[in-house]
Amino acid sequence: MAASESWLVEELERRGVSRREFVGFCGVMASIFAMPRTVGARIAQAIEAADKPTLVWLEFQDCAGNTESFLRAGRPTTADIVLDTLSIDYHETIMAAAGHRAEEALEGVVSQKPGGYIAVVEGSIPTGANGAYCTIGGRSAEQIAKEVCGGAAATIAIGTCAAFGGLPAAAPNPTGALSVADAVPGLKNLINLPACPANAENLAAVIVYFLTFNRWPPVDRYRRPLFAYGKAIHDNCERRAHYDAGQFVENWGDEAHRRGYCLYKMGCKGPVTFQNCPRVGWNEGTNWPVGCGHPCLGCAEPDFWDKMTPFYSHIAGVPGFGVHATADKIGIWAAAGVAAAYAIGGLVQYGRRMVHAKAEEEKGGQS
Amino acid sequence: MNTAASIDSAAASAVQPQVIRVYVWDLPVRLTHWLLTGSIVVLAITGFYIGHPFITAPDPAGQEFVMGTVLAIHFFAAIVFSLSELARIVWMFVGNKYARWNQMIPVSKARWRSAWEWLKFYVLFRPVTPRFVGHNPLAGMTYMLVYAVCLLSALTGYAIFSVSAGIGSPMQVFSVLVPLFGGLQTARWIHHLCMWLLVLFVIHHVSCALLVARAAKNAAIDSMFSGYRFVRPEDLEAEEAEE
Ligand code: HEM
Ligand code: HEM
Ligand code: SF4
Ligand code: SF4
Repeated sequence: MAASESWLVEELERRGVSRREFVGFCGVMASIFAMPRTVGARIAQAIEAADKPTLVWLEFQDCAGNTESFLRAGRPTTADIVLDTLSIDYHETIMAAAGHRAEEALEGVVSQKPGGYIAVVEGSIPTGANGAYCTIGGRSAEQIAKEVCGGAAATIAIGTCAAFGGLPAAAPNPTGALSVADAVPGLKNLINLPACPANAENLAAVIVYFLTFNRWPPVDRYRRPLFAYGKAIHDNCERRAHYDAGQFVENWGDEAHRRGYCLYKMGCKGPVTFQNCPRVGWNEGTNWPVGCGHPCLGCAEPDFWDKMTPFYSHIAGVPGFGVHATADKIGIWAAAGVAAAYAIGGLVQYGRRMVHAKAEEEKGGQS
Repeated sequence: MNTAASIDSAAASAVQPQVIRVYVWDLPVRLTHWLLTGSIVVLAITGFYIGHPFITAPDPAGQEFVMGTVLAIHFFAAIVFSLSELARIVWMFVGNKYARWNQMIPVSKARWRSAWEWLKFYVLFRPVTPRFVGHNPLAGMTYMLVYAVCLLSALTGYAIFSVSAGIGSPMQVFSVLVPLFGGLQTARWIHHLCMWLLVLFVIHHVSCALLVARAAKNAAIDSMFSGYRFVRPEDLEAEEAEE
């Protein structure tokens, strides 16, 4: 394999990225996968040797947030270039073709490269009203997903909507939205990259992994790659020392907030959310939500719109008690109620026994 | 059950107390009872702090370990709590007849009937307690619920705990429980509500213990220390006849 002929090397040269930088990137990828840095060399070799992978990007019930994340502007890194130089044969937001020409491109990939392309799905798949909520070229999202993902070498469900249903599937789920896994059951080689939006760094990493090892990295029970979703936010958080110390933000903009204390009491879902945000950061590692003073919303977890809400409360209230009643307030009132009931009941019982005893005494006196 | 007669006989025994001492709570029942009591008190206080940290430590962070300490206490108490709960559940199958599971899950008609009489006592329709030797059936049913809530507390607790367990730690096995509880955040919520259920139970339980101890004059509270309770001989005979 002549490295100089590689699609990637050519592309890197064209954009003025040195080989040294490229090898450095592969080393970083190896470390993201928690593999020894020497694996970087293997990754570099594999990427250089790999055929330019074909990718089709399907958008269904989505906000294009993951596309934005993926196309993010800023200093182009090697990761961007790896992503940029993929042969993206179909992507509604960025492709030049439109209408029937665009759909032909998709059909072309599916029919000419069966099992030879990677499908990326963004957005949930509505199944209500026979799929009428989302149709492209006269076909429902479900039909397209079944055909395209069914014929792909592998599928990436990017973003929480594709991975878990996301916002469209939040109660009462008016469109019958499903995740890719639920809409196309039995899909082999599906990997989920939830988050709202998914981090482009992780997308680059799974693709690099796939090119290197020809399979997906190890995943957790929600099919999320462990290298990116293996640890709770809370366990990697830079504010953790404040949590352990017992130093919490009580109000937005208070002294504690300005000092960068822990956001636990502001509803931070870091303790119950798995992603590598604290480590890789967002926008080329500039910062991440907790780093700039906002609690984690738990966006990478299943059903986060239903389960992690209210976003700014530590835990939800109790259904039927109104939105301002916290579980603790209800608990305190219930405790007071039970105590009062017993105090009254005890008094009544005591009185009754006195009366009863008196009656017995009188009866005893008569007999 | 002959209600009128038993009220009369109870009143009679109040006049001439002819009672015998019966060994009802064997040692494991008493031991687990007080270990559970102690650990629940610690768990509820530390748990309340974890859910609602009301102490804010002064700077710098490196010098303080308030939440860390509270969590550690919570986890040690959780060990005592879980082992006592487990031991008590095992004892439901090997202990004496007052410790058995069927004291809590009423399977006989007689216990259902007696539970009804007890309900009347609690809602103030009966001035005097119905006769009983071990747990009264209504209390038994409550204890069944309490042990269920305790189990739920422990299981949700371990599910949450599995998050921070290191890779390769045996505590990670509890992560299989997470989907059962509808995710970690919901597990947290259940864990938190269980605390309140137990707090409500403790208020009810202590009030009832005082109430029954006064009404039945059977040394109910002392019995959880000594294991002995005072019963009327005819109650014991009646109970033996039922079996
Ligand atoms: C966290 C606090 C407590 C819990 C969870 C608890 C739970 C229980 C349970 C489950 C039983 C049934 C015993 C068995 O067969 O296993 C029981 C019995 C009993 N407990 Fe407690 N208890 C608590 C605190 C107390 C306290 C503070 C007292 C004293 C006032 C007390 C007095 C009794 C008595 C007298 C019985 C025997 C009741 C009967 O006749 O049926 N308990 N308790
Ligand atoms: C009677 C038993 C228990 C009570 C009353 C209790 C109570 C609580 C409460 C109220 C919280 C705060 C929950 C929140 O708002 O997030 C908590 C947290 C916690 N408890 Fe317990 N607990 C009990 C048993 C256990 C057990 C057996 C374990 C097992 C290890 C456990 C592990 C935890 C953990 C890991 C947390 C931290 C939750 C977080 O960081 O969000 N608990 N407990
Ligand atoms: S800010 Fe959130 S993730 Fe960070 S330590 Fe506090 S609770 Fe945990
Ligand atoms: S910090 Fe939380 S809410 Fe923010 S992106 Fe990461 S997982 Fe999502």
